[in-house]
Amino acid sequence: MSVFIVETDKAGLQKFYEEIIGKFETYAPVEKFDKYDYKKVSNLSECNPDSPIETTMSLKPLFFPKTAKIMKFQEDSSGTTLSETDEDPLAGSRVILGVKHCDARGLQVLDQVYNWDYIDTDYQKRRINTVIVSTRCDKAGNQCFCTSLDYDVENSDAHDVRIVNGLDGKIYIQGVTEKGEKLIKSSSIQQPASDGAKDELSKHYKAFDASFRLKMNYTEVNAKLQKLFDSPEFETVSSNCISCNTCAFICPTCHCFKISDEKIKDTGVRYKSYDSCNNGYFTLMAGGHNPRPVKYRRWRQRSLHKFVYYKERFGMNLCVGCGHCAISCPVNISIFDVVNQVSKIMQ
Amino acid sequence: MCKVDKIIDETPDVRTYRLIMNDPARMETFKWMPGQFVEFSLLGHGECTFCISSSSTRPGYFDCSIKRAGVVTADIHSQLEEGMDVGIRGPYGNWFPTEEIKGKNLLFVGGGIGLAPLRSLIQYCIDNRKDYKDFTILYGARTSADMCYKEEIEEWKKNPSLKVILTIDKPEETWKENVGVVPKILEEVVKPAVENTKVITCGPPIMIKYTLVSLDKLGFAPKDVITTLEMKMQCGLGKCGRCNIGSTYVCKDGPVFTYEQLKSLPDEF
Amino acid sequence: MDHSKQIQDIASKLFAENKIDYFVGYRQNAIDDSQVPYLISDPAEIPRLVFTDRSVFNLANYLKPEHTRRKRVGLVVKGCDSRALNLMLTESQVKRENVYIIGICCEGVLNEKGEKAQNCIECVMPDAVVYDEMIGTPTGKREYIVNADIKELATIALEKRADYFEDIFSNCIRCNACRHSCPLCYCAKCCIDQETSTLYHGANTSSGAMHALMTWSLHLAGRCVDCRNCEKACPSHLPLHLLHKQNESVIYENFQQHLAGMEKDDRGAFYKYSLSDPDDFIL
Repeated sequence: MSVFIVETDKAGLQKFYEEIIGKFETYAPVEKFDKYDYKKVSNLSECNPDSPIETTMSLKPLFFPKTAKIMKFQEDSSGTTLSETDEDPLAGSRVILGVKHCDARGLQVLDQVYNWDYIDTDYQKRRINTVIVSTRCDKAGNQCFCTSLDYDVENSDAHDVRIVNGLDGKIYIQGVTEKGEKLIKSSSIQQPASDGAKDELSKHYKAFDASFRLKMNYTEVNAKLQKLFDSPEFETVSSNCISCNTCAFICPTCHCFKISDEKIKDTGVRYKSYDSCNNGYFTLMAGGHNPRPVKYRRWRQRSLHKFVYYKERFGMNLCVGCGHCAISCPVNISIFDVVNQVSKIMQ
Repeated sequence: MCKVDKIIDETPDVRTYRLIMNDPARMETFKWMPGQFVEFSLLGHGECTFCISSSSTRPGYFDCSIKRAGVVTADIHSQLEEGMDVGIRGPYGNWFPTEEIKGKNLLFVGGGIGLAPLRSLIQYCIDNRKDYKDFTILYGARTSADMCYKEEIEEWKKNPSLKVILTIDKPEETWKENVGVVPKILEEVVKPAVENTKVITCGPPIMIKYTLVSLDKLGFAPKDVITTLEMKMQCGLGKCGRCNIGSTYVCKDGPVFTYEQLKSLPDEF
Repeated sequence: MDHSKQIQDIASKLFAENKIDYFVGYRQNAIDDSQVPYLISDPAEIPRLVFTDRSVFNLANYLKPEHTRRKRVGLVVKGCDSRALNLMLTESQVKRENVYIIGICCEGVLNEKGEKAQNCIECVMPDAVVYDEMIGTPTGKREYIVNADIKELATIALEKRADYFEDIFSNCIRCNACRHSCPLCYCAKCCIDQETSTLYHGANTSSGAMHALMTWSLHLAGRCVDCRNCEKACPSHLPLHLLHKQNESVIYENFQQHLAGMEKDDRGAFYKYSLSDPDDFIL
């Protein structure tokens, strides 16, 4: 991990952003319909990289879009021919500003599933060509619990550059990876941080950690849930779930998708779009057999996949504690409450 | 891309599609093991997962037996004709432990369309007959009309080294074989010896459930019972997530499991 | 508006007399002043029931079979919710003897910003229209007002309007929260699902979203009761009421001032066809 740190102030940070937007294809949180989402920007005034408000969608759509063309096909008298889509996953390199820790961590978790066995090349390409600049995490949100999970937020290398508002009033810009260091070195913000910068960062993260309302003991939750497949609590916690797909679609780590064809006359396109295990049709088989026909089973799958199965298989927890799902849930169900209630960690 | 070479009507709702790849060089190198599956696309209608129901010991073509059940399979039955193109990805998944069962007695227990994956293994074993000992095939269907591969079964019956036992659920006038559900026939007619025997079973979920009970009663160890699972799948690449049972990806770690492995999975299939 | 105490009393009585298996109400959300729909089968949970001007959900949604199949349910409904329930009763989705309805004479609920919600300002019927027991003082039916946003939309040039809707549809993520939160979308198999129909291919494109949302809004034309449960559910904050209110105003104008779910056994505008209906708006 790189320890390249520079220090600056508010005006310097604005300049840093402006330079990036001027030089690279840049994405940042943009307001639309009273909510923030990562969108392409060409001017700093369009976006708000320092907004404390969570974006509705996570960073996921920039790497794994809500719908993507897989291939095209064309039928004629001689048969059917397949062809690659004309969509280029990512032309050059790009920078994403205003990312939260949890969103960046989500990508690290997604890397595990996309890079085992068959490698998703489009995803890979987007990952390699993107520089992630994280900010905004000075204080925990109402639904945040990222510090409670199985990773070290302070020493995270999920992002390439992180921007920290020090408690001493200075703004520290740290290059965490090589890519990040390069980005900082290419800017005009060059004042190296004083020797105490590392301590300042630690202090910042201590204060950050103390601001959390939600905390859980991850090891204990993970151990308990492994034995709770038959818990009747799943039925109670899921009773007001309406089986929509919101939580999965906006989740930074949910990666299930469906494949569908669209055909007009003789030509067609095959798409890959989001799908969700909370949807009753998700596991319905053609013969009518469905292993998860009722919602408590689907919630059990969702919770256990997040907190047990993925860890077992890929060594990381599938939930990053961002709280996006709880914020957007139509009936305000929070996965923290669900897991907590089932495992009965806190009474 | 593959061409449909031949369509064989097996039962009122099952058809076997014999497929040949458009590129002969690829057909040459296309190898699969019994129990593996392919993703079968009727382009514009969708993609489905089917096991290959023939064996690569009979090269030059491969078969997929398809039962009309859902939206895409209905489209396949109504629109796919001989000479048309279909998209094939695969083969995916693991396969029956063809090495491990060498030198053993084999008991195949199949029901309905569940004979399709078994047929691939049966053909494979017939073509390597000297590697295996006694051969028993128990096959059941709801009615005699619902039996798949009727002609091939007749051939098997003529083969002196195979023992074939057929059954249907309810009596029919012209039916001369057994009547009764598969687990019952298994216990009362087949009465298999447990010694040095591997059981390979596939069929509708309800049949598998009770067959496993019967096998337990007959004294078979769970590790000697091999089955193949059906789960909804889409990508076949361990990505799309719908075939998850616990932390297992049926499309990568399966579809072939022993009963022992199944017991360690969460009860969700 | 705080009816928590009365609702708790009624729920206790219903459980004590064994009249219900489930009670559907609201409870306070732990983290802020919002509320959560609350399904209880255990009388011990009754003290957590609340009802205030933050009780925004349409609880009639929980009468769908996936939530409370073959159960006797006690339920709290506001004016708009009761109209939806009325339609569910008329359309044979709920058996009247299986629900015990606590009707509220609603004073309007608040939106996320803490202001009175737009649909409450424009509400035509704040009192419950079907109930076993009524809480509050009825204020009666009000005059129909054409939605302010619809009026504004009508002044925008047609091409601009198309762009505006394109923007809406391209922001849709097809999570189906709108459909699942609507009490009147109760079909076991929906015609816009990839798995059950060939009408809609399932890809998440903006034309797919348009197809799905337009089909959905037309299936609710003449039935939508303007409870805005869909709009509150939408994670993308799309102004879905534009679709429904447009339909509603056209129907109000042309179908003898019809409003959905106001009367018992009223089967909706599209069932009341007569040859003398005006048809000049069709083309």
